[in-house]
Amino acid sequence: MLINSVIIILREVLEAALIVSVLLALCHNLHLSKKRFIASLLLGALLASLYAANLNSISDLFDGVGQEIVNTSLYLIIFTCLILLIIAIGKKPINTTLVLFAVSGCLAVALVREGSEVIIYIQGFTSSPNLFQSVLAGAFIGAGIGFSIGVFFYYLIVNLSPLNGVRLSLFILILICGGMISQATQLLIQADILASQAPLWNSEGWVSERSMIGQLLYALIGYESTPSPIQVAFYLISLAIASILAIMSLRTFQFNTTE
Amino acid sequence: MRRFLTFVFFMLPLTVIATPVIEIEIRNHLFYPSEISIPADTKVKLLIINQDPTAEEFESYELNREKVIPGNSKGVVFIGPLPTGEYPFFGEFFPKTAQGKVIVK
Repeated sequence: MLINSVIIILREVLEAALIVSVLLALCHNLHLSKKRFIASLLLGALLASLYAANLNSISDLFDGVGQEIVNTSLYLIIFTCLILLIIAIGKKPINTTLVLFAVSGCLAVALVREGSEVIIYIQGFTSSPNLFQSVLAGAFIGAGIGFSIGVFFYYLIVNLSPLNGVRLSLFILILICGGMISQATQLLIQADILASQAPLWNSEGWVSERSMIGQLLYALIGYESTPSPIQVAFYLISLAIASILAIMSLRTFQFNTTE
Repeated sequence: MRRFLTFVFFMLPLTVIATPVIEIEIRNHLFYPSEISIPADTKVKLLIINQDPTAEEFESYELNREKVIPGNSKGVVFIGPLPTGEYPFFGEFFPKTAQGKVIVK
């Protein structure tokens, strides 16, 4: 039970930690106040517990695919906030109000998405005290590893020059954009809103989704070993949109910093 | 256009009826039945009924599906159309016991 809970919690925490650390580092590089971070994270945690408490009714919505619809909406909100953030960085001077708005939105919603899963998982064991202890221990270890990876990314970005820091942050944010759209597409296929198709390729033999590398790649680039053509198409389109906007923003940002 | 709409109108209920529903129950962290057979190239609606008080996550890497089924509740997961083969699934929260597979014939 211990190992299983380490993996489950690590998976959720890793995704959230990656977004939080990159956004924190980005705000650091842009000399923006991080005060709003705590408020957004608290709001996210509150909404996550509300989501977890109402999971039954959410699941029953839309003929039993309410979870898919709500989660898709959450992914799309994160994607929109990230796009707004990339655009805001490219304004001359930087549109700090929009940056802070987008960062706060992103943090709160990412926490709702990942936090609710953690709550639902741990909550299930409150009725079995003999398992609860090892689940909780596993959860702490998993969360610890996830946070450590987040801290690593934060210091990696912060220790670069401001320009390179923003470059790396934007690069990771582009990948997260793709991951969000890929996951949203997957959920819409599961809910039978988008048509199910045969996978475009099968790379399970090379990098298994079950493996640690697979899990890390899933968090980082939205890796799927058997993606459907529509998923790959939407993934590539979202990557293209985010990349073009990021390149345009970087040009203005470079100009701003050298001025 | 009108003919087309009439056609779509009459076809819609047919496509809904055509999607077979298969029920899977979760009891004591086990799937009942743990093996289900479905025809090839057919879309199927899985109705997963969780009788346990604890939540479970229906997950399958082979089917690309992942969904939390709250305790004492049910959830819907669409799978297929699929080529013939075996597609294992498991309960991510209790993977030691909650194991099963979809056999596509």
